[in-house]
Amino acid sequence: MKLKTKLYLGFGLLIFLFIIFQLFLMMLMNQLNTNMKNAVDNYEMAKTAYKIQDSLNWYRSDSKGILANPPADLLKEFQDHKEQSYLEANQAIETLRKLDKREKSQKVIAELQSLSIQLRAIEAKTNKLMEQNKDEEARNLFWYDTWDVIDKMTSDATYLQTLQEDGVQSEFELSNDTTSIAYKFIFGYAVAVLIMGGAITFFILRSMSKNLNDVMSVFTNAAFGKGDHLPRIRVKTKDEIGQISIAYNEMAQVLEKHHKQEIELKNAAEEQSWLNTKIAEIATMYPGINNLKELAQLFITRLAPIVGASCGLIYLKEDNVFRRYGSYAGQEEPVGRESFSVGEGLVGQCALDKRPISLEDIPEDYIKISSGTGGAPPNSILVIPAEYQGEVLAVIELASFKPFTRLEQVLLEEVVSHLGINIKSIQRHIRVEELLQESQTMTEELQSQSEELQLQQEELRTVNEQLEEQFKSSEQKTHELEKIKNMLEEKAQQLMMSSQYKSEFLANMSHELRTPLNSLLILAKMLSENSGQNLTPKQVEYAKTILSSGHDLLRLINDILDISKIEAGKMEIFLEKTEIQEIKASLKSQFFPLARQKGLDFSIQLDPFLPDLIQTDPQRLQQILINLLSNAFKFTEKGRILLQIEKAQQTVFSEEKGNNLVETMIAFSVSDTGIGISQENQKLIFDAFQQADGTTSRKYGGTGLGLTISRELAQLLGGYLTVESTVGEGSRFTLYIPSLQIVQARLEAAVTVEEPQPDIDERESLEGMKILIVDDDMRNIFALTSALESYFVEVVFAENGREGIEILQKNPDVDLVLMDIMMPEMDGFEAIRAIRQVPEYMNLPIIALTAKAMKSDRKKCIEAGASDYISKPVHMEQLISIMRVWLYR
Amino acid sequence: MEKLISFDKREIEKIEINLLLEGIYRLYGFDFRNYSAAFVKRRIEHRIRTEKLEGISDLQQKIFYDPLMMRRLFYDFSINVTEMFRDPSFFLAFRTKVVPILRNFSSIRIWHVGCATGEEVLSMAILLHEEGLYEKTKLYATDMSEAALVQARKAMMPLNKMKNYTKNYLETGGTSAFSEYYVARETSAAFHPFLTENVVYAQHNLATDQSFNEFHVIICRNVMIYFNKCLQNRVLHLLHESLSASGFLGLGSKEGIRFTEIANYYEEVDSDEKLYRKIHP
Repeated sequence: MKLKTKLYLGFGLLIFLFIIFQLFLMMLMNQLNTNMKNAVDNYEMAKTAYKIQDSLNWYRSDSKGILANPPADLLKEFQDHKEQSYLEANQAIETLRKLDKREKSQKVIAELQSLSIQLRAIEAKTNKLMEQNKDEEARNLFWYDTWDVIDKMTSDATYLQTLQEDGVQSEFELSNDTTSIAYKFIFGYAVAVLIMGGAITFFILRSMSKNLNDVMSVFTNAAFGKGDHLPRIRVKTKDEIGQISIAYNEMAQVLEKHHKQEIELKNAAEEQSWLNTKIAEIATMYPGINNLKELAQLFITRLAPIVGASCGLIYLKEDNVFRRYGSYAGQEEPVGRESFSVGEGLVGQCALDKRPISLEDIPEDYIKISSGTGGAPPNSILVIPAEYQGEVLAVIELASFKPFTRLEQVLLEEVVSHLGINIKSIQRHIRVEELLQESQTMTEELQSQSEELQLQQEELRTVNEQLEEQFKSSEQKTHELEKIKNMLEEKAQQLMMSSQYKSEFLANMSHELRTPLNSLLILAKMLSENSGQNLTPKQVEYAKTILSSGHDLLRLINDILDISKIEAGKMEIFLEKTEIQEIKASLKSQFFPLARQKGLDFSIQLDPFLPDLIQTDPQRLQQILINLLSNAFKFTEKGRILLQIEKAQQTVFSEEKGNNLVETMIAFSVSDTGIGISQENQKLIFDAFQQADGTTSRKYGGTGLGLTISRELAQLLGGYLTVESTVGEGSRFTLYIPSLQIVQARLEAAVTVEEPQPDIDERESLEGMKILIVDDDMRNIFALTSALESYFVEVVFAENGREGIEILQKNPDVDLVLMDIMMPEMDGFEAIRAIRQVPEYMNLPIIALTAKAMKSDRKKCIEAGASDYISKPVHMEQLISIMRVWLYR
Repeated sequence: MEKLISFDKREIEKIEINLLLEGIYRLYGFDFRNYSAAFVKRRIEHRIRTEKLEGISDLQQKIFYDPLMMRRLFYDFSINVTEMFRDPSFFLAFRTKVVPILRNFSSIRIWHVGCATGEEVLSMAILLHEEGLYEKTKLYATDMSEAALVQARKAMMPLNKMKNYTKNYLETGGTSAFSEYYVARETSAAFHPFLTENVVYAQHNLATDQSFNEFHVIICRNVMIYFNKCLQNRVLHLLHESLSASGFLGLGSKEGIRFTEIANYYEEVDSDEKLYRKIHP
C-alpha cells in the first residue's frame, strides 16, 4: 500500500469518527432544547390555570359586593370589575385550550367552558332579579347556584394547574435522563477514538520510517566527492521510497559516468595548458629580438629543455644554404655541421620534403651527448622544418635519450610554425630598419644639401645685389660724372664771378656797414655822455643801450667777416717773430680792468722754459686768446681766471689732431671757474652759431661764432684747440700752436664719428613712403602724423574701417597701413579681412594697433591677415622699427 | 702601370680628399675627417670652382701654404644657414611641452650647439623671457667658427629677413609683439641687449672638443647632418654625457636618434619636432 493511501485512510477514519461525534452531540442538544421548551410551556399553562382561579375569586367577591347593596358609585365599580374578571377568566380558559392539547386537559377545559356559560346565565338571572328588587331571590341564587358553579370551576382550574405542574416535573426528569446518557456516550467515544488514532499513527509512522532509514543509510554511505563508485539501494517496496531508490540508483550511475568524463577532460586540459604555457614561453621571447642569430640561439636554448632534448641545433636559410645559427648543449666546439644545402643530409632532406624526419635506434658512435659524469648516444633524433607560406626558413634538429612523446611532438609542430613567422618578420624588420636608416641618412644628406644651397643662394643673392648695385652706381656715376663735369665747368665760371662778387661784397660790407655803424656809435656815445645835461636819466639809459647793442652788432659783423674770410680761404696769416712777453702785456692791460670790475682773480703764468720768441701770427694768436678770455670772463661770476703759457707735454693728445706731427708745441690754456660745459655739448660749441645750450645766448649774449673762429684760426696757425670742462666747476680751453715749424697748409678736419649720427640718415630710409593710418581717435592720428612727417613720410588717414578701404582705393600707392582694431562702424579685423580680399593688397603690410591688455586680439589680428601688430600707446621707436622691417625692399 | 691608370677616378678623388683632410688636421688642427663624405666633396669642389683651381691637389697646395685659403675653406665647411624661430613648430613644442617642466628648476642651463650666427639662441632667449624663465637661465652658445660667433654677439639681423622672422615668431605662439625686441636701422635690426646678457658665446668644436658642463637642455639642430655616422655617434655621446638626468635634447627636423647608439636612453617628448628626454643615464 502506498504511503499516500495509508495517510488518507488513517486521517480519513479519524475525521469520520469526529463527524459522527459531532452529529450525536447536535442531536442531544436538540433533545435538551425540546425538553426545556416543554417545561416552559407547562409552566406558562400552570400560570394560566392559576389566572383562571384568580379571576374567578375576583368574580365571586365582586358579585358579593354587588349583592351587599352598596352605594351607587361603588356598585358601578363592582359591576365593571366583575365583568372584567369574567372576561379574563374566559380569556385564560381560551388560551389554555389553545396551548394544552392533551386530551385530559381538553376535557376539563371543555367542562370549564360550559360552566362559564352556565355562570353567565345565572348572572343574567340574578341581574334580572336585582332589577326587580327581588333581592332575596337574587341572594339565594347567588349563594347557591353561582357559588356552586364557581367552586366547580375553581376546582377544575386547580386540577388543570396540578396537571401542568406535573408536566414540568416530568420534562425535568426527561432532560436529566438525556444528560446522563450524553455523558456516558462522550466518555466512551473519546476512549475509543484515542485508542484507534494511536493505533493508526503508530502503524503509518512505523512503515514509513523503516524504509526511509534504509534509503538514508545508503545515501550517507555514498561519497559524492569521489564519485568513481557509488552504493546502490535494493528496491523492496513499490511506494515512493521505492521510487526514490530507483531515481537515486539512476543518478549514481550518471554521476559515475560524469566523473569519469571529468577526469578525462581535466587531463586533456592539463596537457593543453602545458602546451599553451610552453608555446607562450617561447612566443614571449620573440618581441624585442631583432636579429636572427639571437633569435635562433634563444629559440633552441628554450625549446630543447622543454621537450626534454639533450642536444639541439638550429639551421636558418641563408641564400639556399641552411647555416647553423644556434645550438644547445653542444659538447664539441662547434657542434654539428656548419651548413647544409637543400637536399643534403637529413637536414637538407627535411628542408626539401618540408616534413619532419624522426630517427630511432641511433648507432653507438653517431653522436654522444655528454655531461660531467659521462656520455651516451641519444635514443631518438628529430629533424623538423620551420615553414612560412610554403618556404622552409629554418630546420631544427633535436636529439634526446627518450623518444619524443606525442605531446612534445605537438608542441614542436606548434612552436616551429610560429618560428617561421617570426623569422620572416625579423627578416622584414631588418630590411625595414635598413631602409629606414638609409632614408634617414638620405634625409640628412638632403637637409645638408638644402642648407648648402640656401647658403649658396644667399651668397649668390648677395653677389647679385652687389653687382646690381655696382652696376647701378657705376651707371649713375658715369651719369653724374658727366653732369659734374658740366657743372664744374659752369661752376668754375660762376666761381670766378662770385669770388669777384664776394670780394667786392665783403669790401663793401666792411665799408658800407661799418661807416654808418661807426657814426651811429659815436652819436650814441655822445648822447649817453649827456654833455648838454638836457636828457633825462631814462633817455641816457636808452642811448647806452643803443651804444652797447651797436658794439655787439659791430662785433658780429667783424666775426661774420672773419668766418667768411676763413671759409673762403681768404684769411691770410702773416708769420713773424713774436715775443711772448708782449702778448702777455697786451692781454694783461686789456683784461685786468675787467677782472677788477667783476671782482675776479685774473693771472697769467709763464713757463720758465718758454722760448722768448715764437714764430707765429701775433694778431691771430691774440684774437684767439682774447676770444677765449672773453668767454671765460663772460661765463664766470666768481673765482679766478688763469692763462698759462707753457711748452706742451708729449702726452697731451687731441682727437682733433691732424696728420702733421709737431714735436714741441706751445700751449696756451685758459681756465676758469665758470658754469662749465657738459660732455655732450663740448662737441657742439665749436660749431658755428652754437652755444652750450639754447638758454645760454639769452643769459650771456654773444653770437656763438667766437669759438668757431678760434678753432679755424688755430688750424691756420698749424695748431688746434681743445676743451676740458665739468659742469658747475669750470672749463679749460687750450690752444696748441707749433713753436718752431709753421705749417701753412690748411688742415682737413678728419673727424670720423664712429657711429654716424643716425638722425638725418636714418630718417631718409622712410622718405617718400606713403602710409595710411586708420584710427577713430583724431589725437592718435595727429600724434602719429606729426611724428611720421618728421621722417618725411606722407600720411593719409581714415577714421574707420570703411573709410580706410575707400581711402585705400583712392590711394593705391599706399605702402603700409596702420590699423587700429577698436573702431566704430567697421572694426580693424573686418577692415583687414576686407583689404586682404583685394588681390593687389595681398602683400600690403598692415600693422594692427592693439591695446596692450588684449592679448587674444593679437592672435585675431594675425588670423584676420595683419602682417604684425604693435601695442598702444605706440612707442615711436618701435613703430619706426616695424615700419622699416615691413617697408624694407 | 696599366692597372694604375684604370683606377676609378672617384677612388682617386676619395684618396685626395682624405689626404687633404688629414693634412688640414695635422697642420691646422681642424678635424673634418669625419664629416659627411658627400658634403666635404661638394664644399671642396665649390672652393675649387670659386678659386678656379685645377683640382684637389692644387687646392691642397694652396691650403698648406696659404692660411687665408684655409680660412676660406673653413668658412665653406661652416654652413651658417639659420633663422630666427627656425621651424616654428619646434619652438611651439618647446614652449608647450618643455617649458612647463623647466619652470620647476631653480636655475636652467641651455646649450645651443652649433649656434652659427646666433639666431636660434636669440629666439630661445625671447621665448624664455616671455615664459618668465630668462632671468634664471644661462644660455651657452657655441660654434666652431669664431667669425659666426662675432656676428652672433652683435645680435643684429638683416632687415630683409625680419618679415619672415616676424611670421615665425607669431607661429611659435609669441605672447608679445616681436617688434618690442628690436630697433630697426637702415639695413638691420638691432636686438635688445638684455637678450644677450645671459648668453655665453664660446668657440667649441664638436669634432675635437669635450663636454664642458652639464645642461638641462641641449639644442643641436642641423649640425650633425654634416657628419658621418661615426662622428654623429661621437657627438651624440658627448651630448648625452653633457645632459643632466631627465634633461631635454632637441634635434633638427630631419635628424633623429632612432638608429643611433643612444636611442634607448631617451623617450620622445615630441617625435615630429625631434624633442627627446633623457630617461636613463
